[in-house]
Amino acid sequence: MLILAFGTLAVKKNKELKQIEPEQLLAEMIQPTRYVTTDQVARMVIQGDPSLEMIDVRPTSEYEKFALPRSINIPLDSLLNSTSLQYFGIPGIKVVFISTDDIAADEAWVLTKRLGFNGIYVMTGGLNKWMETIIDPKEPAEEAPETAFETYAFRKGAQLYFTGAKVDNVETPKMKVQVQRRKKTKVVAGGC
Amino acid sequence: MHVHESNPWRTIIALSVFVVILIVGFLTMRKPLLTYELDMKQSLNEAKASDTSFYPWQLDSVLKSEKKSVVLFDIRDHFVYGQGHIPGAENLSAQDLSKNESIERLENLKERGITVVLYGENQLHANGPCMLFRQVGLDNVKELVGGYQYYKSNKDKLAASINDSTLHPEKPRYDFAEMAAPKDGAKLNINTDKKPVVIKRRKKTTAVAGGC
Repeated sequence: MLILAFGTLAVKKNKELKQIEPEQLLAEMIQPTRYVTTDQVARMVIQGDPSLEMIDVRPTSEYEKFALPRSINIPLDSLLNSTSLQYFGIPGIKVVFISTDDIAADEAWVLTKRLGFNGIYVMTGGLNKWMETIIDPKEPAEEAPETAFETYAFRKGAQLYFTGAKVDNVETPKMKVQVQRRKKTKVVAGGC
Repeated sequence: MHVHESNPWRTIIALSVFVVILIVGFLTMRKPLLTYELDMKQSLNEAKASDTSFYPWQLDSVLKSEKKSVVLFDIRDHFVYGQGHIPGAENLSAQDLSKNESIERLENLKERGITVVLYGENQLHANGPCMLFRQVGLDNVKELVGGYQYYKSNKDKLAASINDSTLHPEKPRYDFAEMAAPKDGAKLNINTDKKPVVIKRRKKTTAVAGGC
């Protein structure tokens, strides 16, 4: 009996990181709610959503060339480091994985999900899609539904936010405030 | 005097019954359907390995040949599958992947040395299930790069897709830094260049007269 009891202790100790069962992982990964679109991410960044944590899983060299504002870089290789894992599982924080397309981001998702972390998402289409939708949005065709135009209007605004394009055209003429000083009539004479 | 003290065998009988129950419990414990065969580190390396992908140009020869060394599984739901799928693909929707029959089928195919290719609407759709199956030891499972969308728009020229550079996952389609840079000489609304501050001193008009 004692041997059995100690045996169970040894089994528990072998696992360094807690993991969820494969069946549960499979059940979670087929949920479409784990994906976020580039539009949703753009909206959260613009609104300054404090619960958003963007994690760029591309290699550092690529991250240094271009990255989304406020995103942090955890290359896929160092995802399982203890310092990297501190970013996950914070209550109320939505972690969004970003990569060039979405495959590396999805791999990061599967690995962190296996460790049982919640509140993690994948940005569908990745930075390629970000470029197509936010940085260079295409005007919808005339017969497109109204929602397409609403999305387009949002994306144009987001484009302006993220690139500063055409900001010069919007002129905000500043009124010059003229301060009229009263003239002193007399030279200060005297003293104490 | 307690009852068990009258019969010292009772304690031993109770104890042995207890042990027997424990042993029976261990023996009949349901073996979990799936167990991880790769630990976290191995899974990470597996994710970066290139042999987990199955490319459309490889698909071309599979579709043409008669021999069945590759089995295609369409993991989209039955309705979408009915609207169009790769010829010869079986439907195994994502919801059914964890069913006993599905796992047994995959294990059976692995024993026979048959490669299993999963595909969804796009590559992302099949990426998760493919990773999971490889983590539980079904290393004959691969994912179709580009998914059904790529197949559908390129089905007549699958062999030529070997030259399609956009097909490689994680390949930037644009120069991000250049594309996201401000265009047309426009400046970001954050003004970064500093202007020297010029301090102008007012000239005294008249000499201060008086004082203490």
